[in-house]
Amino acid sequence: MAPVIPRSGDAAFANVERVNAELFTLTYGAIVRQLLTDLEEVEEVNKQLDQMGYNIGVRLIDEFLAKSNISRCVDFKETAEVIAKVGFKMFLGVTATVTNWDAEGTSCSLVLSENPLVGFVELPDTCHGLYYCNILCGVIRGALEMVSMKTEVTWVRDMLHGDDAYEMRVKLIKQVPEEYPYKDDE
Amino acid sequence: MVEVSLSAFAFLFSELVQYNQTQVDNIAELERRLEDAGYAVGARVLELFCHREKGNRRETRLLGILSFVHTTVWKVLFGKVADSLEKGTEHEDEYMISEKELLVNRFISIPKDMGTFNCGAFVAGIVRGVLDNAGFPSVVTAHFVPMEGQQRPRTTILIKFADEVSHMMSLLNIY
Amino acid sequence: MQFFGGSAAIGITPSPAAPPGTATSLSGNNANMLYIFNRNGVCLLYREWHRPLRTLDAQQDQKLMFGLLFSLRSFTAKMDPTSVDKGNLGVPLLPGQGCSYHSFQTNTYKLSFMESPSGIKLILVTHPKTGDLRDSLRYMYNLYVEYVVKNPIYVPGSAIKLNKGQLHQFHVQSYGKSVIKERLVNILVQMQLS
Repeated sequence: MAPVIPRSGDAAFANVERVNAELFTLTYGAIVRQLLTDLEEVEEVNKQLDQMGYNIGVRLIDEFLAKSNISRCVDFKETAEVIAKVGFKMFLGVTATVTNWDAEGTSCSLVLSENPLVGFVELPDTCHGLYYCNILCGVIRGALEMVSMKTEVTWVRDMLHGDDAYEMRVKLIKQVPEEYPYKDDE
Repeated sequence: MVEVSLSAFAFLFSELVQYNQTQVDNIAELERRLEDAGYAVGARVLELFCHREKGNRRETRLLGILSFVHTTVWKVLFGKVADSLEKGTEHEDEYMISEKELLVNRFISIPKDMGTFNCGAFVAGIVRGVLDNAGFPSVVTAHFVPMEGQQRPRTTILIKFADEVSHMMSLLNIY
Repeated sequence: MQFFGGSAAIGITPSPAAPPGTATSLSGNNANMLYIFNRNGVCLLYREWHRPLRTLDAQQDQKLMFGLLFSLRSFTAKMDPTSVDKGNLGVPLLPGQGCSYHSFQTNTYKLSFMESPSGIKLILVTHPKTGDLRDSLRYMYNLYVEYVVKNPIYVPGSAIKLNKGQLHQFHVQSYGKSVIKERLVNILVQMQLS
């Protein structure tokens, strides 16, 4: 009696405690600003944002699984849909669309309808190459790693760089089965 | 109003604290960095308000700006008016905004080895950012204050206005 | 929610008498032991209520328990008569892959098991007549999320500290109650297993 996989995160989002998105957006802005000051190199900032996202992802996954009542995620295609429709909704109140599957079914794009990380942001020229929302890539990578999917997540379109949408590419590298963790002679 | 889940904010804030922990040697330094991050938020909050309130009525009274922080800013950022706004009993130029359970302290437990560390430094920074940019430079700090009969202390944001502010206000006699 | 459905109609009967020579701090408590493991076999939390017989040191005991669960899952999936898709015995499975078991019983105890897709495993060892504990385990998983995972001071993958010195109060919004982290386990046991 596996529970039905939820198709929408509306109910979950309605049930959780929420805060004004502006507090979230401005706090995120303050984080990016700190990193730019501390690290100077835009490439380093991208890396640090991804790492912070990863740290969040490895924790957030359990809250997501507990609240959405999902008891298995084995199929990558299904998982991508759940992230887009339930995951984004539950935490950020927005949804994403899954598109552009490759022939093997191992990589797809998530296109965000809205992006609560980027209110009031305009990138100055000095930040050319900054993936302002790179934290999201890290979150997805970290969360998927906890459910045995090793992925690469990168931005392919970014409205802050003048593109017409926010689009992330999620590529499944491999699914890692659970190994017996102890050595026999231990 | 557009919202995100409290969890999303909690996870983000937690990363802010943890990242800054890697950048410092002591608690005071950590609080200073959190305050800096908050300052940027406060400055933007004020900017956004001025932008929205087309009338652009600039607050020039001390109590006016304090109540703006205690009421409007709090409401927008934390969804509620702050629990209290009081004048310091010992010093003329000190004010306190207190919150029984400050949002940023709700999901954080401070290990013993971090002593008096208070994540409220971030909120102190927000307050300072608003006040400073409205023309009321001040020193703002966050403190835990034990409450009788309560397991958890409340957080008090202590605002000490810069000498020039108190001086000006006493000249104008418009406290 | 069903907690102690097994012996229905008995109502609030206290749990069967504890074997002689055992003492419990929680009267009417049916639970013997609780384990929480992560996917790497690290025992994040171990608690016991009555366990008069102990033959192994804690580390050996935990390894054995994890090994039992791990192998059992591999066996149950291998023996599944309804599935055409079978790996070789011993070939690692993905969490959630293949069929899964949620409890087994011996004449002296019942072991209830829940695994999240992230590989968090919760194991509760109770009296053999205990009913279906799946909802209880899910509830505990929620507690784990609220108290442990969301506490920024907790380092993922490290043992959960429940000593008094680290006693901190948290609000568990999802359950509308204010409770203390240290009571993570006791709450569950008092509320649901008594």
